[in-house]
Amino acid sequence: MATLQRVASSLSTSASSYGSCKDAGADVTVSDQFPAGLRVLVVDDDITCLRLLEKMLCRCLYHDGTDTTNRERGFYREGVTTCSQATAALKLLRERKGYFDVVLSDVHMPDMDGFKLLELVGLEMDLPVIMMSADGRTSAVMRGIRHGACDYLIKPIREEELKNIWQHVIRKKWNENKEQEHSGSFEDNDCYKQGNDDIENASSVNEGGEEGVLKGQKKRNIAKEEDDNELENDDPSASKKPRVVWSVELHQQFVCAVNQLGIDSTIFNDPLFLIARKLSLRVTVSFAQRNFLATISEAVPKRILELMNVPGLTRENVASHLQKFRLYLKRLSGVAQQGGISNTFCGLMDSNVKVNPFGRFDIQTLDASGQIPPQTLAALHAELFGRPTGSLVTTVDQPALLQASMQGLKCIPVEHGVAFGQPLVKCQSNISKHFPRNVISFEDVASGFGAWPSNSVGTVGPSSNLGGMNGQNSNMLMDILQQQKQQQQSQQQSPLSEPSRSINVQPSCLVVPSQSSATFQAGNSPASVDHNCSYNRSAMIDYSLLSPQLNNSSLNIGQISNGDLKTTGVSGYSGSVSITPLSPCSVNPDNTSQQGRSSTMAIQVGRQLPGFVPNISNFQGSYSAKSSEVLDQRPLRNLGFVGKCTSIPSRLAVDEFESTMSNLDHEKIYMDISGNKVKQEPSIEFVDNARVGIPILQQLPPSPSDLMSVFTE
Amino acid sequence: MDSVVLLQRQLVDYTAQLFNEGFLDDQFNQLQQLQDESNPDFVVEVVTLFFEDSERLLNELAKALEQQSIDYRKIDAHVHQLKGSSSSIGAQRVQKVCIAFRNYCEERNIEGCQKCLQQVKNEYSLVKTKLETLFKLEQQVLAAGGSIPWPM
Repeated sequence: MATLQRVASSLSTSASSYGSCKDAGADVTVSDQFPAGLRVLVVDDDITCLRLLEKMLCRCLYHDGTDTTNRERGFYREGVTTCSQATAALKLLRERKGYFDVVLSDVHMPDMDGFKLLELVGLEMDLPVIMMSADGRTSAVMRGIRHGACDYLIKPIREEELKNIWQHVIRKKWNENKEQEHSGSFEDNDCYKQGNDDIENASSVNEGGEEGVLKGQKKRNIAKEEDDNELENDDPSASKKPRVVWSVELHQQFVCAVNQLGIDSTIFNDPLFLIARKLSLRVTVSFAQRNFLATISEAVPKRILELMNVPGLTRENVASHLQKFRLYLKRLSGVAQQGGISNTFCGLMDSNVKVNPFGRFDIQTLDASGQIPPQTLAALHAELFGRPTGSLVTTVDQPALLQASMQGLKCIPVEHGVAFGQPLVKCQSNISKHFPRNVISFEDVASGFGAWPSNSVGTVGPSSNLGGMNGQNSNMLMDILQQQKQQQQSQQQSPLSEPSRSINVQPSCLVVPSQSSATFQAGNSPASVDHNCSYNRSAMIDYSLLSPQLNNSSLNIGQISNGDLKTTGVSGYSGSVSITPLSPCSVNPDNTSQQGRSSTMAIQVGRQLPGFVPNISNFQGSYSAKSSEVLDQRPLRNLGFVGKCTSIPSRLAVDEFESTMSNLDHEKIYMDISGNKVKQEPSIEFVDNARVGIPILQQLPPSPSDLMSVFTE
Repeated sequence: MDSVVLLQRQLVDYTAQLFNEGFLDDQFNQLQQLQDESNPDFVVEVVTLFFEDSERLLNELAKALEQQSIDYRKIDAHVHQLKGSSSSIGAQRVQKVCIAFRNYCEERNIEGCQKCLQQVKNEYSLVKTKLETLFKLEQQVLAAGGSIPWPM
């Protein structure tokens, strides 16, 4: 009970600290049944049930007699929020990150499937979700479990059943706490954001070096507050450890790690892959997905954890996140067909996590149609991860890519000239070919950028770097994307292929697409890109534009040096290499269309220019993550692909990533996370993004939401 | 006072009858238990919501079954919802008909569906009338100065 009390009080504390006027927690003695102060969100399209549940929960939250005062004050309803529409609920959750402790959702709803909501909530906010339904068949319950529901209640629901829902909240928290070695490393953001008096936590944030990651998190750090009283970190039983919030950046890192593991082991050696690449064939999503999933299976939490190298993260954290990720990927595979889940790619937003500065690229495969299916991205990603050039991992599963991107490009370890595999996915054959070459060979650029492989071969798309490389990566990605584009366009700009990085990937700069066959040179502005790559060009230009922005706006993943970007034109967007659908390579500097779209997608699978686009979209994505807000106004629009995501992978990504991610959903809605609604145009259409002008990037406000949009898809 | 007691007795008896006849089930008790000083009209409020929602659903169902080509999935969704809400307030007989209705839907048995629709409409009107009578009785008790003897 003591623990419970602590939890309860922490909850209440957190609640208070959160700013709500609810002080129930503080006043109410911790009941031994239900921690007061628990904030529940109920979603059900049946208003009769909704009203009933609301009443029952209110009673649970405040035990009879214990909260009289609160009730009198009219607070008794504070703990429960109801929504009759899933979309409204999602919006609410995003707007008030960290506010809710648990979500109760009906399965059958007209506007959105309850399971989909479940997945999104799990991925974006990592809250326990309890499903409800009048359908009590075993198959239905099984579905709930498979989708990750904490519990499944059968209607009619009795009050007693609701009295126990707090256990899910506690359990989750405790598990997370246990996993954490250092308490509060992730929560730091929350902590200090909330004025937590847990100074240690706050400082640990910085230690982690994940500046962006944690800061972005607006989640209420309940655990943190709990730790007030005692030393965090050490006492797992205290379970005060705040739950790990998977910020965009963190997720990007995760994706990078996963991709790296998976790809390393499987994709590149996959004969089918190689053949496809050789023939410049389009790799179907399913293949990629399959592949990706296969590779994913090799990615074990332990290894992922090692690769991520994030202090305070435990294996359990990674394991549970991996599980969700897999679900997400599966879902994406179905969606991917529809045109590139740009969302997923948002991952590019790389958080500033310093995990591999070079990160891997998030290769965003641009598919010929301009859309980079997630798989492609994944493939690209894989490629980027160090695959030797030539191995285009085109089929990189998008999800993977996304992930990578999500994690911030940082993850992408830029290894020697990573050739990003070309985004096989739908990439035009040309591109795919080149892709590998260009793949940005990331070198460890001290600047953190990871040298963009100058393969300019125009690797299309895969700007793989997007992921974690803040800045650097982004450049890489951009480069890759650009390269891809170029490739597509110029088909061979082979000359570019040389790894010399034509793209000057400036550390933090956005990936300069300059790679594209030499024309791109980093620095060169896109203009150099020939029209073929039109994308490249624009990409380049954009990037550079972006880069400066990136840097400024923190969008960047890391540190995109603005200055650099400019020259190169292609700024590595470190974060968000979103593979935005590239429109047929016409890289028109006016990508404007992109803006808004994909804001979050760092890796947007864009339909972007066949070759390149991906980059742009990425940027957008990354930016979006960052600044969802930024996007809308920004020139991103021109970028076209970027939708919001172009935001910066860096830390901004975290917050924004989330918001952007949601944006990726082809909707412009997401950008809420940071509270700025970036009106973005359909994020997914990065196409035409080639234009992504860099300027846009700059503007992109870090909006993690973008990154998250990936998931929202 | 006699009148109050009498009225209360009437209320209790009537409620017991509804339970016995299967119109209401234990879930209705839950509903009543949720009513308290802070929400003195909770039961009436929720039941009213149920009435409105159900009427809407029944209309939709009638329309759907009149179509040339019947969309069974839609019908199933409506019935599912009706089943959910009726079970939430304890309208047991309505809920039971819904279960049968869903089965016919799965079989795509149009006649069975139409029959069920009719049945569900009947049950719904019955329970509606009965609950309205119940509420009136409650009002009478309260008006006479008595209190409602919930839970029973």
